[in-house]
This record gives sequence, structure tokens and C-alpha cells, in this order.
Amino acid sequence: MNFIFRLGYVIKEGILQVIRAKGLSVAVVVIVAATLLQLSLFLGVSRVLDHLFASNNQKFEMAVFLSASTTQADTARIQDFLSHDPRVDSAQLVSKEAALAEFRKDSTIDEMVKALGENPLTDSFTVVLKNDAIDQADSLAADLKKDSSVDDVSYGKGEWETLSNLIRVIRWAGLMMAGLVFLTALFIVANTLTLALWGRREDMLSMSRLGAPGWMRWGPYLCEGIFQGFLGSVIVTLVLEVIRRAAGEALQKYGGFDILNALPAEEWISLYLHLMVMGIVIGAMGAFWALQKKWVKEIL
Amino acid sequence: MLVQGFHLTQTDASGLRILEDAYFSFPEGSYTVLLSENVMAATAFLKMLAGEYRPPSGTLRIDHQDPYAFSSSQKRRWISEVGVVFSDFKLFSDRTVEENIFFTLRAKGFWDEESLSAVGVLLSKAGLADKAKLLPEALTEGEKQLVMALRAMIFRPRLLLADDPFQGVEAGSFGILFRFLSELNKTGTTLVLSARQAAFLEEVKKTENNPAIRWTQLENGKVYSLEEKVS
Repeated sequence: MNFIFRLGYVIKEGILQVIRAKGLSVAVVVIVAATLLQLSLFLGVSRVLDHLFASNNQKFEMAVFLSASTTQADTARIQDFLSHDPRVDSAQLVSKEAALAEFRKDSTIDEMVKALGENPLTDSFTVVLKNDAIDQADSLAADLKKDSSVDDVSYGKGEWETLSNLIRVIRWAGLMMAGLVFLTALFIVANTLTLALWGRREDMLSMSRLGAPGWMRWGPYLCEGIFQGFLGSVIVTLVLEVIRRAAGEALQKYGGFDILNALPAEEWISLYLHLMVMGIVIGAMGAFWALQKKWVKEIL
Repeated sequence: MLVQGFHLTQTDASGLRILEDAYFSFPEGSYTVLLSENVMAATAFLKMLAGEYRPPSGTLRIDHQDPYAFSSSQKRRWISEVGVVFSDFKLFSDRTVEENIFFTLRAKGFWDEESLSAVGVLLSKAGLADKAKLLPEALTEGEKQLVMALRAMIFRPRLLLADDPFQGVEAGSFGILFRFLSELNKTGTTLVLSARQAAFLEEVKKTENNPAIRWTQLENGKVYSLEEKVS
């Protein structure tokens, strides 16, 4: 019960101090909000890329062309091999007639096919790899090529790797920038809170003279930082949600790619929760940093 | 608390020597009034007893312990039994009169409703009931001084060190504060206070139930007992 009383006291005092500090509180909240806005940019881009890439991964396809002499038994054998291979998600047989019909949708190719007079295509399989087996595309292709009925295997692994590497570089660069922004914000928040503490040094000295226990002296200051960080994160969350809705509608209206709504709603909620946690962490760490100053420790 | 000093040397804030190989002893439950021509000397002396102004040499003992040798947790425990009234120990400007006293009680570990309701009773007795919800800036200097004294007394400290607690207190409140201090002393609190006003002496003289005050003079680096002054 005593603990609840004390916790209630610290929370109440923390909130009151946010109100009492007025200008400095606004400064800290704005700094935290600006920082989180920058962080949300990195996090948001990273998440959108992840999401788009994950969608792309699901479509990682491999075309397995069979030789012209392939019999139905050979086709059935290869289909059986593919349906039992752990690297394969699905394998769809595409007959040469179906492939030709698809090609003929393009008028130029249609003219070429007419000129040839016969179907130059062969039967093929469209193979979709499992997400966790994309890096085994080479080995699957090699296994398939061992079969004399397989004429060629085609897939865009090189492009996939380029895209994957690009996304990795963007993600790491984003993380490093986010780290720098986070540290800078921490430094500014800590120094702003130190200023606030300096303004209250007489009160702090009085608390010490009254023999107030540690948690009663520094608890409210720590709580103050946490509240300020939380307030900053709430502001950013509201701003982002407004931007998401407004920009999303505008992009759809003018026929652009609505990159903001490429992420599902749960991803946005997760992003907001992460921002709130980061806001609280920046506030708490900034306050803790300020409380570690030598003169503050001497008084408290 | 028993307060003793042996071979003590001390200087005031301006560097002027106020104690020179001084001896003194204030027994537990005693009521000592310190008189000094030098206002800063009295303040420095009381701050030394409060553990805030380490003497360069000599031995200070409070309940046979050196307050300057305490660890920070020991010191905090010790401070929780000591009440202080210093002019630079201001009230919290952003808390009401009532909240200022609440804070002291909570700092000393009193969180129960009964203790907190005692604040209202005390403020009523002091004639400050109608000021309970006001911020210190709305009080007169004398009222602030009275609240500072109440804040130091509310938790019944074992030792009360007060640097001229009557300074600025209005004539009407003077007797109230004097009575509070006497009552606190009767419950066993050791009082050491400095007083500069002649009005204080007058108040003592007209008090029927005159407390056993030990008059002490701080002069030429020594602490003299002036028992004969009250008789």
C-alpha cells in the first residue's frame, strides 16, 4: 500500500513539475517530437521497404523449360520431383499452347509467331520458391538441370540480390542516422532538463535538508522526463496519423502510388507504439543523464 | 539529542573565526538560546551543528556521533530526526502552505491521513488556517517565518536548530511560536536557537510557565553559559 502511495506521489509530482516548468517543458517536448519525427521517417521507410520486399519475395519465380522431346511421363516425373522438394512452394505446369496464347497477346510477337508457322515454345513449369529458400535457387536450378528433360532454368537471382543488398544498405544507413539523431536528442534533452534542475536547485537543497529519501527527491524529476518524452511521442503519433490519412487520400486521388498505405494498419500501430517507447526512453535517459551531473548529485 | 563540542574551531561565511578552541555541551531535552553580536557567527554555529558546515578542527558530537563522519544514508537518517530553521531554507514557492508542511511529513515517512490532518490543526493553532491553501508569495515575511518554523516542528524532531526563528514574526504570532517551541521542548526535543530581538526576552519574562532556558553567549571564539541572565 505504501508503495502505491509513493508511486502515486512520484507520478503526481512528475506531472505537476511538467506544468510548473512551462517553457522548458515545451522545449523538451518539441525536441523529443522533432527527434521522433526524424526517427519515424527512417523507421517508416525501412518498414515500407521490408513490406514491399516481403511481398516481392513471395513472387520469386523460376521458369523451368522442358526440352521439345519431353514425354508426358517425363513431365509427370519432374512435377513429382518439384511437388516433393522442400525448397519449392508451388509448381505450375504451363503447356506450350498456354504459353503461346500468353505471348500472342503482344501483337509484335503474334506477327513473329504467324511468320514461323508453328509454336516454337515448349512446355514449362512456373516454380515459386519458399521465402526461406530463395538463397537455394542456384542449387535447385542445378538439380533440375541434371534432368535430361530440362532444357533451361531461368530466374532473376542477380536482380533479387541487387535489390536485397540495396535495401540492406538503406536500412543500415537509416539505422546509423537514427542512432545519431537519437544521441543528439538525448544530449539536448539532458541539457534542457539540467537547466530546469538549475532553476530548482533551491528546492532541491531544501529537500535534502528535510532529509527526503532519494526516490522522493529524484523520482519526480525522472518522472518529469518520462512524461515529457511521452507527450512528444503522442504529438508525433497524431501528426503521422494525420499525414498518413491526408497524404494517402491525396495520392489515391491523383493516381499516385500510396506508399504510406502500402503498410497494413497493424504495422502503423506497431510503429506508433515503438515511437512512444522511444519517446519515453529519450525522456527517461535524458532526465537520468541530467541527474548524474556532479552539482545535482551533490545537492540531491 | 546530546550536543557537544570539544576544542572546536570554526569560521563564518566571510572567513572570520567564530570559534577558537571552544567547548560546549547542550544536554538532551535542553532549551538553549544562543546570543551573539555577530549575526553570521550564530548562523555558522547552527549550520555547523546541522552538519552543513564542517569545523576545520576539533570534535563535534551529537548523541556521541560525529555528523561529519556519517555515510550518506546514515546522514539522511540523522537529518530525518533534526529540524532546522534557516533564513536561506526557503519554503517551496510553487506549493501551498499546507503542501509545504505535507512535504516535510512525507519526507520523514509520515504518509497516513491522521498525520496529514494534524497539519490543519497546527495551522489553526498558529492562526494560519485561512492561509493553508495559499502560496508562500501571498504571505507576509512574518507568516513565512512562522510556516518555516512549523515545518521544522511538525514531525517532533529530536533536535531543533533554529536561526532566529522570531525574525519578522508579527507581535500577535510571537507568543504562539514561543509557546509551540516550549511545548516541543517539553516533549523531549533538544532546542538550540539564536535570538536577536529584545522582544524575545520580553516574551520569556512574561511567560508564566517559563521554560528552563539555557542562555549562551557566542563571543571571542568561545561559547559561554549565561545562566544568571534569566534569573
